[in-house]
Amino acid sequence: MQFLGRVGAVLLGLSLILAMCLPAGAADPITIGVLGPMSFTQGEGHWNGATMAADEINQAGGVKVGNVMRPIKLIKIDTNEFLSIPDATNAVEMAVSRYKVDFLIGGFRTEAVQVMQDIAMDAKKIFIGCGAAHPALCTRVTKDYDRYKYWFRLTPINSSYLGKVDFILLGTVGAIMKAQLGLDKIKVAVVAEKAAWADPIVRAAQKVLPGKMGMEVVGVWRPSPVAKDCTAELAAIQRSGAHIAFTTFSSSVGLTFAKQLGELKVPAAPVGINVEAQKTGFWSATGGKGEYTVTINTFARVKITDKTIPFYDKYLKTFKEAPNYTAGTYDAVYILRDSIEKAGTIDSAKLVPFVEKTDMIGTSGRVVFDKSHDVKWGPGFVTGLGTQWQGDQNLCIWPYKWHGITYEGTVPYKLPPWVVEHWKKK
Amino acid sequence: MILDIIIDGLIKGSVYALLAIGFSLVLGVARIINIAHTALYMTAAYLIYVGTKLMGLPAPLAMVASVVLTVLLGLLVYTLFIKPIQEHEAAVLIATIAVAMMIQEVFLMVFGGHYLGVNPLIDGYATILGVKVTYQHLLALGLALVVLVATRLFLVKTRLGLAIRSTAQDREVANLMGMNVTRVAMSTMAVSVGMAAVTGAIVVPLVTVEPTMWMHPLIMMLAIVVLGGLGSIEGSFVGAYILGFAESLVVFMVPMGSFLKDSVALSIMILVLLMRPEGLFGVSFEEER
Amino acid sequence: MGLLGVYFRRTVTILRSEVLVLPSRIAVLVFIVALMALPLFTQDYYFLRVLILTSIFAIFAASWDLLSGFTGQMNFGHALFFGVAAYVTALLNLKLGLPPYFSIPLGAVGGVLTGLVVGIPCLRLKGSYLALTTLAFPIILTGLVFAIPDVTGGELGLAGLSRLTGSRVMDYYLTSGLMVILGFAMWKITDSKTGIILHAIREDELAVRTSGVNTTRYKLLAFCMSGFFAGVAGGLYAHFMRLAGPSGLEVGLSFQVIIWAVFGGMVTIYGPIAGVFILYPLMEVLRVALDSFPGLPEMRMFIFAALVLLTLLFMPEGLIPWVRDKVEIECPRCKVRNAFNRKRCRVCDAVLD
Repeated sequence: MQFLGRVGAVLLGLSLILAMCLPAGAADPITIGVLGPMSFTQGEGHWNGATMAADEINQAGGVKVGNVMRPIKLIKIDTNEFLSIPDATNAVEMAVSRYKVDFLIGGFRTEAVQVMQDIAMDAKKIFIGCGAAHPALCTRVTKDYDRYKYWFRLTPINSSYLGKVDFILLGTVGAIMKAQLGLDKIKVAVVAEKAAWADPIVRAAQKVLPGKMGMEVVGVWRPSPVAKDCTAELAAIQRSGAHIAFTTFSSSVGLTFAKQLGELKVPAAPVGINVEAQKTGFWSATGGKGEYTVTINTFARVKITDKTIPFYDKYLKTFKEAPNYTAGTYDAVYILRDSIEKAGTIDSAKLVPFVEKTDMIGTSGRVVFDKSHDVKWGPGFVTGLGTQWQGDQNLCIWPYKWHGITYEGTVPYKLPPWVVEHWKKK
Repeated sequence: MILDIIIDGLIKGSVYALLAIGFSLVLGVARIINIAHTALYMTAAYLIYVGTKLMGLPAPLAMVASVVLTVLLGLLVYTLFIKPIQEHEAAVLIATIAVAMMIQEVFLMVFGGHYLGVNPLIDGYATILGVKVTYQHLLALGLALVVLVATRLFLVKTRLGLAIRSTAQDREVANLMGMNVTRVAMSTMAVSVGMAAVTGAIVVPLVTVEPTMWMHPLIMMLAIVVLGGLGSIEGSFVGAYILGFAESLVVFMVPMGSFLKDSVALSIMILVLLMRPEGLFGVSFEEER
Repeated sequence: MGLLGVYFRRTVTILRSEVLVLPSRIAVLVFIVALMALPLFTQDYYFLRVLILTSIFAIFAASWDLLSGFTGQMNFGHALFFGVAAYVTALLNLKLGLPPYFSIPLGAVGGVLTGLVVGIPCLRLKGSYLALTTLAFPIILTGLVFAIPDVTGGELGLAGLSRLTGSRVMDYYLTSGLMVILGFAMWKITDSKTGIILHAIREDELAVRTSGVNTTRYKLLAFCMSGFFAGVAGGLYAHFMRLAGPSGLEVGLSFQVIIWAVFGGMVTIYGPIAGVFILYPLMEVLRVALDSFPGLPEMRMFIFAALVLLTLLFMPEGLIPWVRDKVEIECPRCKVRNAFNRKRCRVCDAVLD
């Protein structure tokens, strides 16, 4: 009976041998494993960004290692991490021990990335994260440098920086409301998905809003990240008399919330983090009801650096959608190329000091890594963007005269008309 | 605020009731725990998306077509995969899980994990006693009530309805009385899938269409059916509203804990079962010969 | 020396008279030997990782069978035991610094307690009511996990547990060895008096109760034992992955374990184990196979589900009982199993047909 189990094992073995033979023919290229949930938007972003960069580099002749020009070969690793964590880790282990990838980029769901990190560190391979925002991933580097030094985070900026941008956006919109509608005190409804990464933002909101920012918090709502219905929350927000709905969403609930807010014309302007609103599909998924939603973003068609607009246009043309932050794999591939060319080796251990010294004008700003191997945030570095859906376009509205920075192509913020109408009367 | 809770709970409850009653019918008549029930609901939703957004059909036509196609799919699944192994309870159970997974994977392959949406039939919202409700929600509520009443009449007034109810009560005696239990089970399956599809058609503009959208309604539906009593139509009806109201109550009373609404609803179910192990309106057919 | 010889001869006797007489037992023996010898041939990290997880899930699936298969207490929320034990193990390891050989057993005790907590309210429920109620528990607990992120780490889970053992090969021997031992223990339990009572409860609880057996106590015992073995699996998982997170409580995992167990064959213990050893590596085989066709969409899960469905259509009792009925015959007189090629029963010498 269990001999069938053995048949399974033998089959496994056979296919593994098959797998071993596949990459064996091409020893020359530099292999990079692209990790992501490939059936989902996030994984598509990972793969698309990386392929764009690799194609460009290969067309230009490849990467110069010492005196040899070597092409880049990408390996698509479907981690399926939304549906199964063991699956994700098996995929990464296969990339490392079977395909013998030289480097890893990508990753999305924090719970899974932690394990991927461990596998990459065991194999001593550089792993550039493009997707998970939790600071804990980088504190591991400071706690145990020798082990975790191979980890770097490129996109997005970590969640405490996201929180900072979040409050700046809130302040900006609040000031516009005060001026346009003649309000005395802005009332804010804090709506954050119930997730650990959102907790510090909620705590800070409760402290900073009444204190430094002179706003009133009328309530805090914590729906589940995967809630399918927010009508109850929205009715409560309307009752509370909030002017602004300060959102912190990374999951599907953001879409539901934005859509139902627009449908019910709840007189509270949505501002904050809403990852769903970063996607091109947001407009049609909400049937246009998500208009005026403001979110923090990584890419928009503005001139953050000279590279941004060409990258954005090419991406849009090739893949028929705007890049979201997981497409930061594009920059990750270039960072690897630059470091390899400087170091003249593809050995991760020797490469780490060179990646640490990265100072590159990327597509989302000037990329510099800090002590914990996290991408640096601030004026002159990567800033992040605030974007708003105006019509069926997701346009950049921030930075707007912030520390003297306004990216070319930025437009002014627009208040939702029903909000104006509701509060003008009073 | 009480008004908010009542209206919100009413809408949620009606949608749950539609799902739960259909599921309950099949469980009562054919003794099948059909995990794929909400996957078929998802199928209807996707078909409407294809019909209206990709093929540009008018919405009512797309709705009818999707309901018909989903019912056909449901019957196909029933005859091919469930009927041959009907005697093996556990096998039927995982067969339905496997069917649900296959449906999920098909949509994942075809549409990816993207979040999709369908435009409402009627745009805008009404203000009822100071509570804003979209027309689509009202429409869903109205349709749900119509379907519920129609199902009720069908079960009470028609011969087939009588057959379904008597089979649900005692399968073997029904068989002895000369009823074709297999055919009754088949018809019940059609009615049940039909209700799942209609639910999908009604709520599709209200929800996000994505390949895992069947999970959450599935859990709520199972909880409602157990709460109300297996195989009891009234029970499912009452149970649906209890959980619907419980959810809204949590959001309004403890905004900081609105993520707990599922947990609270499920805890209520368990508390009820502790007091009444056969649910609110349950008849314990488990003990039958 | 003489003593050793006695033991050796006894082992050989048992082997010859109990093991080598039945194809299924030979298969088990070959399987165990192959499992133990495998690292001699390959020490590939990926290969071993897959097999380690397979062993862990095999314990988990067998523990489901112990409860749901044998007593008929259909458990739809088996991930609860797994998840709770993983969290308990992780907390003990991270907060108190307990090494794996303490934290895993204590995590399993957590599983036992969970079995008690869930078992007591569930005692009054029967059949489908029980099945659907148990589904609710892990979901309620997930809500709690998110409510106290300071303890549980919220969606992040608890990461950075100490390693199971020093090396991958040792991990492999630990998990596969435990799998064999615990699987054997579970099989022995079901073969004991307790096991027979549990089996009887499944067939007719009323009859068992009229025979003067306190069925409540036995059902509760089944919940606790099942919780223990599932808990060991959860603890091993937490230490091997170095992570205990909300994914250990997901509905998907509860469904998965039912699929493995029913596919392999319920009420056997070895059926679910074989089920996992076929289906879990199959997913990896499919991964490798489909990687050669990059144009195809991700369809592993689809193939998996379709395969399970088709298998059930032809073998509704599960794969292993089906295979077993092909290679073995039950003696009509004394109910002892015999190899298919025998003409007469190996015990009572009755003619087999």
